[in-house]
Amino acid sequence: MPATPLDKIRNIGITAHIDAGKTTTTERILYYTGMSHKIGEVHDGNTTTDYMEQERERGITITSAAVTCEWKDHRINIIDTPGHIDFNIEVNRSLRVLDGAIFIIEGVAGVQPQSETNWRLADRYNVPRIIFINKLDRTGADFFRAFATLKEKLDIVALPLQLPIGIEDKFLGVVDLIEMHAVIWDGSELGASFHIEPIPSDLEAQAKEYRQVLLDTALSVDDAGMEEYFDKGDVAAATLRRCIKTGTISGAFRPVLCGTAFKNKGVQPLLDAVVDYLPSPIDVPGISVAAGEGEEDGEYSERRRIKADPSAPFAGLAFKIINDKYGTLTFVRVYSGTLKSGDMVMNTTRDHRERIGRMFQMHADKRAEIKEVFAGDIAAFVGLKDTGTGDTLASSQDPVVLERMAFPVPVIDISVEPRTKESVEKMSLGLQKLAGEDPSLRLRTDQESGQTILSGMGELHLEIIIDRLRREYGVEANIGAPQVAYRETITRPHTETYTHKKQTGGSGQYAEVKIVFEPVARNEGVQFVNKVVGGTVPKEYIPAVEKGIKVQADTGVLAGFPTVDFKYTLIDGKYHDVDSSALAFEIAAKACFRDGMKKAGPIILEPIMDVEVTTPQDHVGDVVGDLNRRRGMIQNQESSGSTIIVRAHVPLKEMFGYISDLRSMTKGRASFTMQFHHYDPVPRNIADEIMAKSA
Amino acid sequence: MQPRLRWMRGRREEGVGASRTLEWIGCDDAGEAIARVVRVQGPLCTGWRRFQAVALDAEAKVVELRPAEPPDGAGWLACVGGQVVGRGAVPLAAVRAVEAALDGE
Repeated sequence: MPATPLDKIRNIGITAHIDAGKTTTTERILYYTGMSHKIGEVHDGNTTTDYMEQERERGITITSAAVTCEWKDHRINIIDTPGHIDFNIEVNRSLRVLDGAIFIIEGVAGVQPQSETNWRLADRYNVPRIIFINKLDRTGADFFRAFATLKEKLDIVALPLQLPIGIEDKFLGVVDLIEMHAVIWDGSELGASFHIEPIPSDLEAQAKEYRQVLLDTALSVDDAGMEEYFDKGDVAAATLRRCIKTGTISGAFRPVLCGTAFKNKGVQPLLDAVVDYLPSPIDVPGISVAAGEGEEDGEYSERRRIKADPSAPFAGLAFKIINDKYGTLTFVRVYSGTLKSGDMVMNTTRDHRERIGRMFQMHADKRAEIKEVFAGDIAAFVGLKDTGTGDTLASSQDPVVLERMAFPVPVIDISVEPRTKESVEKMSLGLQKLAGEDPSLRLRTDQESGQTILSGMGELHLEIIIDRLRREYGVEANIGAPQVAYRETITRPHTETYTHKKQTGGSGQYAEVKIVFEPVARNEGVQFVNKVVGGTVPKEYIPAVEKGIKVQADTGVLAGFPTVDFKYTLIDGKYHDVDSSALAFEIAAKACFRDGMKKAGPIILEPIMDVEVTTPQDHVGDVVGDLNRRRGMIQNQESSGSTIIVRAHVPLKEMFGYISDLRSMTKGRASFTMQFHHYDPVPRNIADEIMAKSA
Repeated sequence: MQPRLRWMRGRREEGVGASRTLEWIGCDDAGEAIARVVRVQGPLCTGWRRFQAVALDAEAKVVELRPAEPPDGAGWLACVGGQVVGRGAVPLAAVRAVEAALDGE
């Protein structure tokens, strides 16, 4: 049986906007739980979870790292995630396998765009979460303003469990609204301890007011708690904690704590909150099986869920793959059952068997070998031959397929070619391994130029990949300028008939297809409908038609970009008893696509980014004017202290090199973030430019 | 706050998963029910009409609420006798509205 009972395990993630203090908070957690004996700092490049060379050099988190620590008899498995949008896949896959999360919000800026994006992701996966308003020691920090942005931007019931005592350089500690006492830290140096004292008299009235809000909100989810309150006029701290946990797990409200991790204040109560309010693996409903599984005889019942039970058949989800000098490590979240080294499991996603080699508990880049894993664990397996991110590993006794993961669409391309002939093979191998690790990285060969094209989430993402290619695989490569990942689509329906006929001497080729091409809503992909009746296109040739369209759709009819968001319906065709073949139908389908799409109002789509610029007030005019020049649509402007936040939708094409322009425009005082928002048709003049370039 | 009335759970709604309390009943010292806080529910479709917000009256009959859209987050009605005396986002806020109304009598 597991060494730690299931109810004492917490699998949590730490997530936030870039620079909100995730890694700094993780470092403090490791220090206070005794897992590290000195606190690393992001700016010194010596933190535990940022172990990659690039992370240490740049002071940012690039890859999520798993660490484990103990707090008050509980084992806490933590995944520290990146804040930069280019590495959002790491947040995505981490939230998918975690039972709870700490959302860190910056005390000066409040909720920032990446926090919003990650919040929506956590909503998608129903992850219970607590909020930590950090950096209250910073100039301009304002707990209540940051708190207000939780409601404004996330539209949630945020429930403060603490109030700050002092602010900025006078931030001393917090009022604990559950125990109704003050927690004061004795200094802000490494490992600072705290003491308890009565609530300062100037905060008493405010504390009472917020305590009532806490009681009102927390008790509303627990009838027994309400009855205790009606009986006694108050409730015990244990009752209140139970209610807060219930509300946190159900999502009725989100508890809010505060502090400053960098100054070592507020971290211990945050750890208490993880233990008290975030769920253990048995407190959550369990992971759903994939669609189509567990539905009995056409019943549209709720999908079956796999509950955390060490004695049930094994089921786990591979959520991350890394390749290092020792081989391939596959990170697996174990949802049920027990597994030993050497056991065989099914990869039910790909339908083959895998033998488990060695198993490790990971502590960032360090590993401790374990012989067994149990439901609720997160571990890394060595020796899996063909298991990718999002695959299910399950016992053959109950070969379930768990809900798959969704991956973001890359928006930026670069061409990459090795500098020497000898590196061709090494580059191909390296890129394939990197793409295997990172599902938001796509690799393809341009059919016309023969170049390798890397598609990723942003300039930084691709820059890191190229850097890793050089450092880890020793490949020096020439890189093309970043290109926007344009798409093509159609705007009106069109029916096209094409006959492929080559019947002059020898064995001939004959195929005719009649296809209706129609636009569909954005992000609905490519859909195929077969409406052939009477066998005018024999069944065995239908896959060839599909293949022909699929291949041709990769190079659209306007400028050679992939064609998306259309439906094609095969309604009729003709065949010849002798001369028809799969190849003939594939050729016919390709030609039908080329001719048909040209008449279906083809357009080019470009990625539009959600851009947020934080600028001092005196540069707002310049920033807005510049965004307008970049074809930006200003969405709103709001002030946050002495700075203004400008939000705009701007085509990605216009954002290359924006950071240097912004710096020179604002004397280095402004900053910006951006993330993909949607695809929009490009204006006619730009479409003409793009087509001319591709011609 | 020590409530003036003795409050107890009233009707509950049993659904898929956990059940939820639809009302709390406030009784006086003699055990007489004199006030209720009632969960606002809705929208409710009856087949031919759609009610945006409804609540149960003392006889468990469904009553349509007007205005249909309750004020932001006010999901509970505070009722004394047959009268609505206030609203609250959470039951305890509605209980306070009831107690305040009784204090003002």
